[in-house]
Amino acid sequence: MTLFIDQVTKRYQDFVAVDNLSFTIEKGEIFGLIGQNGAGKTTTFRMILDLQETTEGDITWNGTHINSINRDILGYLPEERGIFPSMTVEDQLYFFGELRGQQKKNLRKEVDYWIDRFELEDKRKAKAETLSKGNQQKVQLIASFIHKPEFLILDEPFSGLDPVNMDLLKNAILELRENGTTILFSSHQMDNVEELCDHLCLLKRGVSLFTGSLLDLKKQYGKTKLTIRTEIPKEVLERLEGVKEIHVGKDQYTLTLINESYAQPIFDFVSNGKYIEKFSLDYLSLEEIFKDKVGGTHV
Amino acid sequence: MSKFWLLVKQLYKQKVKAKSFIFTIVIYIVAISGVMFWSDIKEAFFQDEALQIALINETDAELEALFESTSDIEFTFSNEEMTELEKQVTDGDYAAAIFVRDQENSLTAEIATFEPLTFNDQLSISSILQYAGKLYEVQQLNLTSEQAEKILQSETVISMKNLNEQSVNGKSEDEKAAGINASFLVGFLIYSFVMTFLSMITTDVASEKGSRVLEVLLASVKPATHFTAKLTGTFLLALTQITTLLLILGLLFMFIDGGSKWDRVIVIVNELSFSYIGYAVAFLLLTIILYLILGALLGSLVSKVEESSQAMMPAMILGMIGFYVLISGMASPDTMLIKVFSYIPFTSGMVMPLRIGATDISSSEPILSMLILIGTVILMFLLSLSFYKRSVLTYSSGGIIQKIKTVLKVTT
Repeated sequence: MTLFIDQVTKRYQDFVAVDNLSFTIEKGEIFGLIGQNGAGKTTTFRMILDLQETTEGDITWNGTHINSINRDILGYLPEERGIFPSMTVEDQLYFFGELRGQQKKNLRKEVDYWIDRFELEDKRKAKAETLSKGNQQKVQLIASFIHKPEFLILDEPFSGLDPVNMDLLKNAILELRENGTTILFSSHQMDNVEELCDHLCLLKRGVSLFTGSLLDLKKQYGKTKLTIRTEIPKEVLERLEGVKEIHVGKDQYTLTLINESYAQPIFDFVSNGKYIEKFSLDYLSLEEIFKDKVGGTHV
Repeated sequence: MSKFWLLVKQLYKQKVKAKSFIFTIVIYIVAISGVMFWSDIKEAFFQDEALQIALINETDAELEALFESTSDIEFTFSNEEMTELEKQVTDGDYAAAIFVRDQENSLTAEIATFEPLTFNDQLSISSILQYAGKLYEVQQLNLTSEQAEKILQSETVISMKNLNEQSVNGKSEDEKAAGINASFLVGFLIYSFVMTFLSMITTDVASEKGSRVLEVLLASVKPATHFTAKLTGTFLLALTQITTLLLILGLLFMFIDGGSKWDRVIVIVNELSFSYIGYAVAFLLLTIILYLILGALLGSLVSKVEESSQAMMPAMILGMIGFYVLISGMASPDTMLIKVFSYIPFTSGMVMPLRIGATDISSSEPILSMLILIGTVILMFLLSLSFYKRSVLTYSSGGIIQKIKTVLKVTT
């Protein structure tokens, strides 16, 4: 066990931001914290970072209370981007590295590596304020882990990145994990969470709706998403037993089943012993589960 | 390097290289040199011709000796007719014509102009006429002009003796005048430095908070470290600016014009007591620190940098009050207003040096005022520190009071 959040509550005068939250993150794991705006993600991050105190409960890192650990083992990328506008990219990275207890001479290799990796070589001497938003975000991201933290917190790291940069970031996160960094991140983009996370916590208005492995969450719902390509009209399909909902796509139907057991009879009916182009039974996507859990349509 | 010094270095390096910082120093130097070298500049650029004044003496006395021409005003005694002279004034040959007459052994004068005289010229001419009038009346008493001169030049020699042994020795008028001048300079320096560095620290904290870089910083340093680093960095900048300014001005005064201005500075400094200079420096530095604490606190309240000017307004007003009270005290430094404000921490730095330099006060008063100031600095520091921890990560809209309420609401 590395990070342990034990029955943590954050209460303000007139509302509860985080209510009795508990989860554990193991060493070298990527953990996703997902929830709508105002779900309590940033508050949770701030409590872990000791920027805010908990009202109740404890947060420990390797058994030590979070407010007495050496803060240099932490890395943090806040949701709203912040770098020094008039400092150059390179100076910025050295500054944040030094601020986290690294010697300047030891940082050189890291700075060069990540500047190259994130394709910022030509911006090395440019002031941060002259960079595009995406590039600023890359600089800040590098700044958050330039000191090789043991534990890295990324608040919405993907927002505002184009697909190419998003891939760069994903690969960087995976590389950090390989090097032993424990990562906690939040995101609205569920496909990224699905791709990266081993475990996750689903928050709604400060309350955890689910905490555990992604697969366990999916198993809770079972394989109920059925995609088929067939000539059979919608009216017929929706009258089949076990079909809860039907969605007509461009050239296929997506059926939501009551449970997995109805798939076999439907297959028999649709294929009728013949070749069928597409019949795919799968778990719900995280986005669908999320929408179902939080009961909203906005992710 | 410790995190504290890393933050101080970052702030200092960033600001000291900023164009605005260098520009401010240049402005100060130009302004102060402008005042100091005004007479030389005026001579070099505005070589005004002396004002031509025609004078018709209709009395029987010899008045030439009373109206001596200077570089500013040149008197010409004329024998022409009044109408002819008035025509010459109208034509612009003379700026004015003065007709001096006798009326029951007193002098009367009529000044005829076409273009109105400036206020300064009017004052000069009228004072010359007043003096001439007195001299004329003395002359009517059949005294020699030397005797008359002696009467008019006579001045009582006054020395002060204070019977209260507890009190300091009374200051001479010269000392008080030097005190007033030096105090205005000290007050003005405090005021302008306070305004410059208050705005610098408020904007700096506000921009770090607004750009959320503060959140990253506070993840690795404690708010107390950040707060003190901001204070130290900005204070060092203020010291840098003051030292640079004094150094450059000192060199200018020493080497331009054979050091005549430097001699004047030395004369003023010699008139001031050692303790006055000590107090002035201490008040200057403490007041800057006090306003920096206030500025950092106000900066931590705003949500974005655009709001920083609104946030620093209360502190600006405090500084302005101090400065205006100081100006009011230039004419009479002994009023109750000055006394009261010389104890109020936010204004005492500007007002107390005036009292020390230009009035006879006991030695306990400045010490008391200084102690109040030191006490307030310590208290403000502790209060601000505890509040800063809570306000730097709280974002809210509304005015300052509303922001304070929000901070208290979400952190208690």
